Amino acid sequence: GIPAPVVYFVDYVTNSVYLEDIADSVTVQDHINSVQRNGNDTSSLLVLGEKMGELLAKMHDEDLIHGDLTTSNILMRPPMEKLDLVLIDFGLSFVSGLPEDKGVDLYVLEKAFLSTHPDTEMMFKALLKSYAAASKKSGPVIKKLDEVRLRGRK
Amino acid sequence: MDLPHRLELFPDCSVTLLLFNHVKNAAALRKKAMEGSIEGALINPAMIVDPFQILVAANKAVHLHKIGKMKTRTLYAEIIFNLSPNNNISDAFKKFGISDNDEALLIVLVVDREKTVNLEDIISQVEGQQVSLDELPQLTDIVKVKKVYKVTPQEEKIGTLVDSIVCRMSTKDVL
Repeated sequence: GIPAPVVYFVDYVTNSVYLEDIADSVTVQDHINSVQRNGNDTSSLLVLGEKMGELLAKMHDEDLIHGDLTTSNILMRPPMEKLDLVLIDFGLSFVSGLPEDKGVDLYVLEKAFLSTHPDTEMMFKALLKSYAAASKKSGPVIKKLDEVRLRGRK
Repeated sequence: MDLPHRLELFPDCSVTLLLFNHVKNAAALRKKAMEGSIEGALINPAMIVDPFQILVAANKAVHLHKIGKMKTRTLYAEIIFNLSPNNNISDAFKKFGISDNDEALLIVLVVDREKTVNLEDIISQVEGQQVSLDELPQLTDIVKVKKVYKVTPQEEKIGTLVDSIVCRMSTKDVL
């Protein structure tokens, strides 16, 4: 139940994977940039953050770690208002039930967020709040996230 | 009637789908298919939700045929096998191939550009009415499809049924 491109064909000879093309999609990264540039409705970004939190909660509850969470690895299908998100690029993914791995997954996203998108602290906060509410196993994960954050600063 | 589909990755190959209803000689046709005396993959249309499902199966079959790595003995058997979400060949034939009492039939033909296939010849062997592919949805048994492919309600909220099916078809040898 995680939205991701459909796998059409795996070619073991050339080691290629043929995937669905999400037509006319925009990365969350480009979307945030364009909303901020246009001085647009930034409260819509909070709702987007919530949607992202819900999606990541679902993924982590299935014990799937993305491994490379950034705003350019989440696509939005048109129309943008629908907030129809698609996760892509699972090249570094793995399966794990450990809160540490999930915490790190979120930490990577947080770092990517704050370094690529200035002034999005509120958006990420909304993301985490929504994640905590949507995930059945979020307590230990958020705890680990806090620990990792402290480790990162040393 | 319905145009042949060219495979993007194998442009010399074209796939033609012929749909029949009110078929009276399914048993005889099945026998011919097993003997190899009829051209085409004889498929149960109740298990097919979209022509794309067939194209994905055909694409993989052609690919494996070209590199000599098919799991079954013929291209047409391989197409039927590829439709299955698991790796049990006889189960695939039972579920996706035609059975003696079937009244509807989907014939899939894969033709190389240089070869011509006599469609009329094949059509004449079927004691039934050829109908447009547009009628396929009416022949699909959605409940059975979901059961065989084990599609969950959460998946259905995220994507289409074809999406779920194609994913299982294309990744079954990895899992």
